[in-house]
Amino acid sequence: MTSPCSSAAVPQKTALVVASGRDIDELLTTVLASDGWSLHRADDNQHALALATTEPFDLIVTGRKMLGPDDVEILRRIRSARAHLRLIILTDRFTPGDVVSAMREGAFSYFSAPFDAAELAEMVRAAMAAPCWDDGIEVLSATPAWVRVAARCDTSTADRLVQFLRGVRDPSIPEGIISAFREVLLNAMEYGAHFDPSQHVEISFIRARRAVACRVKDPGQGFSLEELRHAAINNPADDLLSHVAAREAQGLRPGGFGLLLAKKLVDELIYSEQGNEVLLVKYIDPISQVA
Amino acid sequence: MGLQISIRESDDVTILDLRGRATIDAGESELLDGQLQRLVANGARKLLLNLTDLTRVDSSGISVIVGACVSLRHQGGDLRVLRPSGPVLEVFRVLHLLEAIPSFDDEARALASFRSRGQAASSSQRSL
Repeated sequence: MTSPCSSAAVPQKTALVVASGRDIDELLTTVLASDGWSLHRADDNQHALALATTEPFDLIVTGRKMLGPDDVEILRRIRSARAHLRLIILTDRFTPGDVVSAMREGAFSYFSAPFDAAELAEMVRAAMAAPCWDDGIEVLSATPAWVRVAARCDTSTADRLVQFLRGVRDPSIPEGIISAFREVLLNAMEYGAHFDPSQHVEISFIRARRAVACRVKDPGQGFSLEELRHAAINNPADDLLSHVAAREAQGLRPGGFGLLLAKKLVDELIYSEQGNEVLLVKYIDPISQVA
Repeated sequence: MGLQISIRESDDVTILDLRGRATIDAGESELLDGQLQRLVANGARKLLLNLTDLTRVDSSGISVIVGACVSLRHQGGDLRVLRPSGPVLEVFRVLHLLEAIPSFDDEARALASFRSRGQAASSSQRSL
């Protein structure tokens, strides 16, 4: 794993946007122009590839009419020449394997239709703001059933990872487990690594026949769940907000709902003895929930 | 920024129309926290958060809302929410916050509830 790259200032940033339809094109134009980026357009991804070999773009947003594997191939060819280029893939047709391939090849993000335009706008802004990103997510191993990645400890990387998970669009992975994953991921990055971008958390996504699971391991010393008086997960049933007073007494900022929210959104939330590894499990077969 | 906050007033109730998301991502929750703290510091005691156009909230956003609610009640005020829906309503629901923070579907009724002290949206609300 490499360390974060430098954030040398670039006077004029340029983006290349492949046509995706009027609404998306206008949205991207507005977002990019608001920060003074120079905007170039391509009719399709092949045109984009041709332009990218001669122009040093900082960001490329692909067109959604391409097949997922074609997007990944274009990503691979462009990044072999422009290693630090940020590329956001928009696609109508894809497989979960395409999403993992895109992550492995260093895509900044992946949006499979239908997607939320506001979420795309936020991701484009994150790509525009990111001084360095391409070492943020590393695919350590991947099979259709088990993907293991390392992620740099910052909120932007967490958001990118969550968007990749959304991009898979697996109907057995409901928004609830994605939200739960996001909560434990940010918790691991904050409390296990103090959002230190030189540190990484390790994540496994496991797709079994009757369950999906996610394991997050942070580099910290761990903790005892029972001793967290400032976390809502330990509130008594008749006092929903008793942790608020505990946090005030300790001078902590408002917070403490992350673990409770994650626990409520999945079927199992299990911590290791040391407390720096957590496993989320969501059953997808109703019969197994009863068993 | 993924959160836009518009502020208006109806008598002594301050209404915040939230649009976007209240999450930790790009400092949205921090933005909301700062805005709520400024309003309370300037004397606002009755706050109505209009969540109609809030598309997403995470634990950081919820913590800010709960913190403001607790702070206001300590000072004799209150915070209520208007029309949480979709993923936002789901978060309020799974955390049982609707039992502690009054929620309304109608703005006029929400505003009226501040005038009739003790009237709540739900008869089973718990105290903070």
